[in-house]
Amino acid sequence: MRIYALGVYLFLYIPIGVIAVFSFNAGRYAAQLQGFSTQWYGKALSNPFVMEALQTSATVAAASAVLATIAGTLAALALQGVSGRPRMIFDALLYIAVMVPGIVIGISTLIALVTLFDWINPVVASLWPVADAAPQFHLGTGSLIAAHGLFAMALVVIIVRARVAGMDRSLIEASADLGATPFGTFRQVTLPQIFPAILAGFLLSFTFSFDDFIIAFFVAGSETTLPIYVFSSIRRGVTPEINAIGTMVLAVSLLILIVAQTILQRGRRAQPA
Amino acid sequence: MTPRLRTTLLLAPATVWLLAMLVLPLVVVVVFSFGERAAAGGYTPAFSFENFANLGARWTAFKNTLMLAPVGTLLCLLIAYPLAYYLAVRADPKWRTLLLILVIVPFWTSILIRSYAWIYLLGGQGIPKLVSLLGLGSPRLINTPFAVLTGIVYGYLPLMVFPIYVSLERLDKRLLEASADLGSPPWRSFLQVTLPLSMPGVATGCMLVFILLMGEFLIPAMLGGGKVFFVGNALVDLFLQSRNWPFGAAVAVALVVIMLVTVTAYMRFTRRWAGGRDDVSLM
Amino acid sequence: MTDRNDFISREKFMAELWRYKKGSVTRRHFLGVTGLGAATAVLGSAVPGLRSAAWAQSGIGDRVVLATWPNYHDPANFEAFTAATGAAVDMNVFGSNEEMLAKLQAGGSGWDVFVPTNYTITTYVGEDLIEPLDLAKIPNYDAASYNQRFAGPGTVDGTVYAVPKNWGTTGFAVNTAQLGSNPKPTTWKEFWDMTRADFSGRTMVHDYQLTTIGNALKYYGYSFNSIDTKELADAEKLLLDAKPHLFAISSDYQPSMRSGDAWMTISWTGDGKQMNRDMPEIEYVLGKEGGELWSDFYAIPKGAPHLDAAYALINFLLDPAVNAKESLFHGYPTADARVDALLPPEVLNDPILYPAADLLDALEFGAAVTLTDPNRAELMARFKSA
Repeated sequence: MRIYALGVYLFLYIPIGVIAVFSFNAGRYAAQLQGFSTQWYGKALSNPFVMEALQTSATVAAASAVLATIAGTLAALALQGVSGRPRMIFDALLYIAVMVPGIVIGISTLIALVTLFDWINPVVASLWPVADAAPQFHLGTGSLIAAHGLFAMALVVIIVRARVAGMDRSLIEASADLGATPFGTFRQVTLPQIFPAILAGFLLSFTFSFDDFIIAFFVAGSETTLPIYVFSSIRRGVTPEINAIGTMVLAVSLLILIVAQTILQRGRRAQPA
Repeated sequence: MTPRLRTTLLLAPATVWLLAMLVLPLVVVVVFSFGERAAAGGYTPAFSFENFANLGARWTAFKNTLMLAPVGTLLCLLIAYPLAYYLAVRADPKWRTLLLILVIVPFWTSILIRSYAWIYLLGGQGIPKLVSLLGLGSPRLINTPFAVLTGIVYGYLPLMVFPIYVSLERLDKRLLEASADLGSPPWRSFLQVTLPLSMPGVATGCMLVFILLMGEFLIPAMLGGGKVFFVGNALVDLFLQSRNWPFGAAVAVALVVIMLVTVTAYMRFTRRWAGGRDDVSLM
Repeated sequence: MTDRNDFISREKFMAELWRYKKGSVTRRHFLGVTGLGAATAVLGSAVPGLRSAAWAQSGIGDRVVLATWPNYHDPANFEAFTAATGAAVDMNVFGSNEEMLAKLQAGGSGWDVFVPTNYTITTYVGEDLIEPLDLAKIPNYDAASYNQRFAGPGTVDGTVYAVPKNWGTTGFAVNTAQLGSNPKPTTWKEFWDMTRADFSGRTMVHDYQLTTIGNALKYYGYSFNSIDTKELADAEKLLLDAKPHLFAISSDYQPSMRSGDAWMTISWTGDGKQMNRDMPEIEYVLGKEGGELWSDFYAIPKGAPHLDAAYALINFLLDPAVNAKESLFHGYPTADARVDALLPPEVLNDPILYPAADLLDALEFGAAVTLTDPNRAELMARFKSA
């Protein structure tokens, strides 16, 4: 059993190891080892487009995760009081949002938005008081956030709703009986109970958006996210710069995770049992 | 504020989002699927069923997807289950969290970079060279269905491990002890107690992986050398190469319909199978 | 470098031009030595352009977005451009002209400069996706020094939409160390026959219908551009027959050829040159039956966000000295006589870059309809999904 687990971990980590080893390659080609060097880390860090792509990815991931978490949590709470046909329709939409493959979301969002913008931009331009100064709608960060957030929001609703369903309702009633306002009850009773689910939903949403290539490939317009940058780099011939980027992203996320884990455990230990 | 108004307001953002980014695009895709390709590519309005009549031209892509998606899902399950079992039941609780984290960590390196590592590992300078140095011949691995399956299992394994782990972790160990006390051999305890209780996790994991596999296009493109063709690849080519948007829209509609049918059937099936438990799957 | 009596050699001309540019000789000396009194007008437009990279320095912004092909630029030149102008070059790399067109059709690409191939330009003009060029902003472009055969497609109905980048051929690269008892292939017939025999599992073809279908058509001696139903049916039969023997269908063939996983591939000039430079056993072959001759251009898409930077970049890259460095790096020839004058003779005599006349004469330019023909697109899809 243990040997089996070890085998699976090897399977998971050998490719990561290959990436890390080649990131220290002195040569220009990613597939031929030619001595040790850290130059590619320097190159990646001083490459404005890598940094910008990283920033775009982080912004889009954070924005879509925050918005999805808020909209999703609100919906999950509201759904308690909804039944019958509206509930059925809403559930069906969530179901479709989770199930439609990313590539279909990407393509359909692309053609829908392109068609919509083609139609809206001239209208806005003709109504705008100052000629030539009218805003032009186009694909970009906004469409990326909206498209990534859609799947993320559906995910949040599902996760939070499960938690809401398992919540201890007597506490809420007690709080109301004791004269708390609905908002007070929400903040002091409901929120703490469903918080782990909200956090899980947020983290999943962030990870999904940060790693997504397929949807971004179609709806990013002129924006470059990190996966799109990596895709373009693979085409122009892989240099160890890509490996360096991958290794750094990995190291940073590992670090964040370990820190978070340590803080959580300390918090747990600090609490009286 | 009436409860009804409050509910409506709370639901408003999510509803607007679903309508604008899901319903509208899907409606546009359906409309486009009845159109015609413009001379230089793109879309011209029309009302014809020709694109649907032509779906047969992508039959191989659908066939490959409908074969590789279940096979890939099954492989993920077979590899993930023992690991999840080990983590939930056998592993030292002290190390459990760390071991779990180690399963997700690879996820944070872009799938593109990880797949590229596999191109190297499966290519002539990688594993085949190792094998031939051992005198076992020189197998061809890269650009084969085997390579695509390896990439798929590698990419989606964590998605399978997690739900199974969660359902196994909830398992009351006293049940197993009781089963053993009653003289049941371990394999029977596993079959009669552990396996049925882990079914919800298995069902969720399988559905997650299956859904993602049905739309996959990167892994076959990178590790299959362009020779292993999924519906995802057909869609990308239709939109980015031949720019036949209406036909691409028809293929997308067909894919969504197939997904709706298979996933709904699957959910009905697993729900009955797992004894009507509601937490069987995502929904 | 030998002087000839009847005319000044290109090398000598350029050497004098550079001396003049650096200020080590006077304009009068330059005109006297080169004997170009009559051509002063031409030089009048060319020389200030060379000299005044300075105009580009003021306020072109901090970036320029370039959409181009793989292995097609010397990174050092971009670094020089950024050092001179402050604008960093953001390079997006594409796999096919169709993909470039698709991205532009979808709108909001954000590109400032792109690199269309000869047969696409009329389509871009028809779709209103390409900006007419203001040649006054590209002083380094001297139409007179370009070979019209390669520069011509950039002009549509008298308007210049694109200026030539490089030209080249589509042949195949073969690893001669793996030939065994086979003679070195010299025809497309041998390419496809070897693929289905001793090279089974070792051949790559482009993920690009224009070249892959075009060179399958050459097997039968049909035109590279054929859209004839019967001829395409023959090509399809060959492609489907060859499919199980292919290593991959991909336009990214250098890594597999270099690692030895693949032994033969459809290849463009510069890729052939780059591989041959590092691994002499990989040779570049032009099929005797013919095939494709092409010319790539620099152009500006409609709505380019950094127009000044776009012109500055094109002008910079067309500076003969810069262009020559590009050529030496990627191994694609230019159609600019001023660039040829700067290249060492071994490059000018390189049969990969400058094929023999009889091989060159057999080649065809791709046609606009070849790219947009829906039947060829569907054939490619059937081939890939088979």
